[in-house]
Amino acid sequence: MIKVKNLRYKYQKSKDYAINGIDFQINEGEIFGFLGPSGAGKSTTQKVLIKLLRGFEGEIEYQGKPLNSYDDQFYQDIGVSFEMPISFSKLTALENLEFFKRLYKKTVDLEPLLKRVGLWDDRHKKAGEYSKGMKIRLNFIRALLNDPMFLFLDEPTNGVDPANSRIMKDMILEFKQKGGTVFLTSHIMGDIDELCDRVAFIAEGKLREEGAPRDLKIKYGRRTVTVEYRENGELHSQTFTMEEIKLPSFFKLLQEKEIETLHSGETTLEEIFIKVTGVKLRA
Amino acid sequence: MPNLRVLIQGEFIRLNKYNLFAANFVVLLFWVFLAWFLEGEVLRQFIPVIFLMDSVMMTILLVGATLFYEKKEHTINSVMVTPVTENEYLLSKILVNALNSLITVAFISLAVYLIKGVTYNYWLLVPAVLIVTVVHTLIGIRLSYSAKDFTSLLINYMIYVFVFVLPPVFAQFGLIDASVARFFILLPPEASSILIGTGFVEVELWKILFGYSYLALLSMVLFRFSVKPKFNEYMMKEMGV
Repeated sequence: MIKVKNLRYKYQKSKDYAINGIDFQINEGEIFGFLGPSGAGKSTTQKVLIKLLRGFEGEIEYQGKPLNSYDDQFYQDIGVSFEMPISFSKLTALENLEFFKRLYKKTVDLEPLLKRVGLWDDRHKKAGEYSKGMKIRLNFIRALLNDPMFLFLDEPTNGVDPANSRIMKDMILEFKQKGGTVFLTSHIMGDIDELCDRVAFIAEGKLREEGAPRDLKIKYGRRTVTVEYRENGELHSQTFTMEEIKLPSFFKLLQEKEIETLHSGETTLEEIFIKVTGVKLRA
Repeated sequence: MPNLRVLIQGEFIRLNKYNLFAANFVVLLFWVFLAWFLEGEVLRQFIPVIFLMDSVMMTILLVGATLFYEKKEHTINSVMVTPVTENEYLLSKILVNALNSLITVAFISLAVYLIKGVTYNYWLLVPAVLIVTVVHTLIGIRLSYSAKDFTSLLINYMIYVFVFVLPPVFAQFGLIDASVARFFILLPPEASSILIGTGFVEVELWKILFGYSYLALLSMVLFRFSVKPKFNEYMMKEMGV
């Protein structure tokens, strides 16, 4: 659906490229996670993809045609949710949504969406009186109101309580099940792990790694199993490689010792993030 | 321009909700209050000043205030990821201010007619107010995009007043030589004053023709070479440059 080839972007007042020759592809119907530390170039990439930043170098194709060949009708097909809460503060939530809704040819019924994210009862409240979490949910609904084919979500659950975060993630997965495509940036690795079919890690304007979360975890994980057991009141641990667990010694240990825990050497996306980008995640 | 109507309606709703209409209305009431105490020729000289102040000064402040809120709330980002074009967005600002100026003309004209029985040539006044408002909306947008915050906008506004509005006033009091003052028609507020004056006094034809041509040309030049590039620059900043 989107093909990016040797994308480079430099801000006017900057000497260095914010994005420095990246290639990736987002297939139709997949959720593509774009990860990286602050200032790595992920927001810049998103802004280039949604045509807010012009003057990029390289090639971007959307639906088989150069992105630059699309006029503003491009926005009929996409939904964008920014990281920061954006709404007209003195208008109610419903007035905000109704204003934007009238700019699109195809729209959806707002009532079920607002009910789903728990904003229906507060729809007549001014957006400025909303909490941060409510504003983020309002952003999310704004991105969905034109029934888009492609969603660009920047930190969609950041600042949202766990219950509503769960609802929003379910909605993203349902969007995908209906054939929608998602470009997602987030620092919450649990969300990425749960939602994304493929992820790409960007650091200092370059792509450092790309693949399905499962494949990356296998690639960066240790193919081992660690057994923790108690013997004479003391805790011991022993690590076996995948080859060693087929040997009798592994089974013997399991049968004879008082096993407390079994751990695979599978890594987490967070560890991969730190490894490939060289930056620790925010707490 | 399929979205223009929606943008204009949205802009009017926001002017109302953000109390900018109310502020504008209070100013109109103030003008009517002042007009109440004036009579005869003094009143006839005062009324064009009201329209000039409204279409020049209030226009700049009104568009500045709306853009200030848009900057503060980053709502321009959301608008620019809809099928709205830059031209539609900027044109909506111009048209809303033009409509607002027409409301002012209707309100003030009705008020001075009802309280003082004063009438004037509305057919000459309306087009003059419209073109003056268009130019000053563009100037207001330009000043706003050059300002970091509302205080900075007010400073830009004051500089505009000192540079472009005060010299003709000084000339009227004889503080500036007439040989210099005849070039003041090139100052947008002075050209505006001449055109608005056509509704009240007889003005030489060349001045009218020059005034309309000059302000129309200035609007086009400002839109194409100043406001649009500055808008793009502002958008880039807004996007995190």
